[in-house]
Amino acid sequence: MKLRPRHRLAALAAVGALVAGTSGCGLDAGYNLPFDVASGSIKPIPELEGVKIRVGSKNFTEQILLSYIAEVALTAAGADVEDMTNIQGSPVVRQALVVGDIDLYWEYTGTAWIQFQQNTKPIPDEQAQYEAVKKADLKQFGIAWLDYSPVNDKYALATTREFADKHGLKTMSDMVALVKKQPKLGTYCMESEFISRQDGLVGAEQVYGFDVPNSRIKTFGIGAIYAALAGGGVCNFGEVFTTDGRVLTLDLAVLEDDKKAFPQYNAAVTMRKEFLDQHPEIADVLEPVSAKLNNELILELSVKIDGEGMDPAVVARDWLVREGFVTVPKD
Amino acid sequence: MSTDSDTSTDTGAVLNVESGSRRAELVRLFLQPAAAIVLVVAVLVWAFNTDLDALEVVTLNPTTLLRTTWEHVLITIAVTVMVVVVAIPLGVVLTRRWAKPIAPIFVGIATIGQAAPAIGVIVLYFLLTQQEGLWAAAIPLAFVSLLPVLRNTMVGIQQVDPALVDAGRGVGMSAFTVLWRVELPLAVPLILAGLRTSLVLAVGTATLALFVNGGGLGFIIDTGYKIARTPVLLTGATLAVALALIVDWLGALAERYLGPKGLR
Repeated sequence: MKLRPRHRLAALAAVGALVAGTSGCGLDAGYNLPFDVASGSIKPIPELEGVKIRVGSKNFTEQILLSYIAEVALTAAGADVEDMTNIQGSPVVRQALVVGDIDLYWEYTGTAWIQFQQNTKPIPDEQAQYEAVKKADLKQFGIAWLDYSPVNDKYALATTREFADKHGLKTMSDMVALVKKQPKLGTYCMESEFISRQDGLVGAEQVYGFDVPNSRIKTFGIGAIYAALAGGGVCNFGEVFTTDGRVLTLDLAVLEDDKKAFPQYNAAVTMRKEFLDQHPEIADVLEPVSAKLNNELILELSVKIDGEGMDPAVVARDWLVREGFVTVPKD
Repeated sequence: MSTDSDTSTDTGAVLNVESGSRRAELVRLFLQPAAAIVLVVAVLVWAFNTDLDALEVVTLNPTTLLRTTWEHVLITIAVTVMVVVVAIPLGVVLTRRWAKPIAPIFVGIATIGQAAPAIGVIVLYFLLTQQEGLWAAAIPLAFVSLLPVLRNTMVGIQQVDPALVDAGRGVGMSAFTVLWRVELPLAVPLILAGLRTSLVLAVGTATLALFVNGGGLGFIIDTGYKIARTPVLLTGATLAVALALIVDWLGALAERYLGPKGLR
């Protein structure tokens, strides 16, 4: 995929507005941030003054939000940030970083481990998984990882609140106990990827000691799963992401992964090593911000974007202001 | 010049006169399925000789490949049947004189169907009906690939020489007999050409069926892309391409052998 200058995208704005209206994507955001920010606890850093930093992201709300958080923070530190958010697909964003079309983006430990480093078995511990990914990425690809944030966008199985209450389901173990007693209730909506991955369905089956027959697995696009689950008629359980705002808006009950079957997906800023070496100050700016993030916060902010239709850049800035990292300049 | 060489030149000339395109068509009739088979064999041999990891074997195994290919074929058949059953009679009705005023409405709807992104139509249909599986994919896909057959049926009937219709009526045929014996047979080549286009469209868009639990080769393609495993992605894509080639070939065969004899 080519990264075209935003001004060409402007021609698509009319179409983009339609898309953005329904999916909350970042097409309506400008090439640069649509507002000014002033310093808070993040002070202007002389070394970053005027340094061009192109910030990319994948194409879903959380990613776009995380990118804007980084963009606003770096802008406050004096950098000249270019907005390259909303690139389609993890491999494409990663490729853009590797070849230098973008300078940084947020990646997840699990994604890099399975997709880019082509491992099959996840490491159950957050910290250990991060260390392993960081080491391998630097060695194999020359990609550096900043400290990971507590945001852990994991796989989870969810069901409707009603179904969970009716059968007293809180954890995955509860679910397994239920489907062992009443196999017919064990219908699952999943994405294709979740079926193939060793740390998806297969991993959960091994850890929890149950078996889902193929006839009870239904394959859906990830977006349709939330609707299928909420509708209640298609499947009782579905694969969701723990930080997806729809978990809140559709009032889904996420089953706790009490035996830790699903891999860790902590978000961290990734950069080319030489870029980080040239501008080590970026780590000083972003790592304190990254440490303040967590899943509940991402859920809360995602709902503002997807549910209330707020601009993700504004949501990102407002949070940074709330935390005192930056301030809104007074006119 | 000897008689022998004369004959050979003649044959050459005759073949040339008979039209090079027809010969090319014949060659294509043989080459196309052969190409599809070679493609499939090549990619399968390559994929199964690669060191497959635990993620790849979940999709790259004979059972799954056969199942998804079969699902893909089923979706294509279902779409074809629906398109034929809906678009041809609709096209016929819309060319009747009394239906002229409403024809643009239906053509307009079919055009919207083709212009709309297939993935959007599929997911919208699911969201509206909460229906899933083969039909949840096939019904919206039929809507998406309806237009070529509808259009070609209408054009095919409209381009029939009015003098022939008059002549039919003149020898005492009823309107229905004229339609059945004169108009439709003359429209068949165009209808079949439209159907061929629709079919290839259907095979391509059927890769999106997986998003509503419709299965098909999209499952392999999507998995390969998401888990970044090239052998999976390429196998799925190649099987879909080969299927499209074969379906197109079947369409060519149909055009060749199902058209009215006089027009072949």
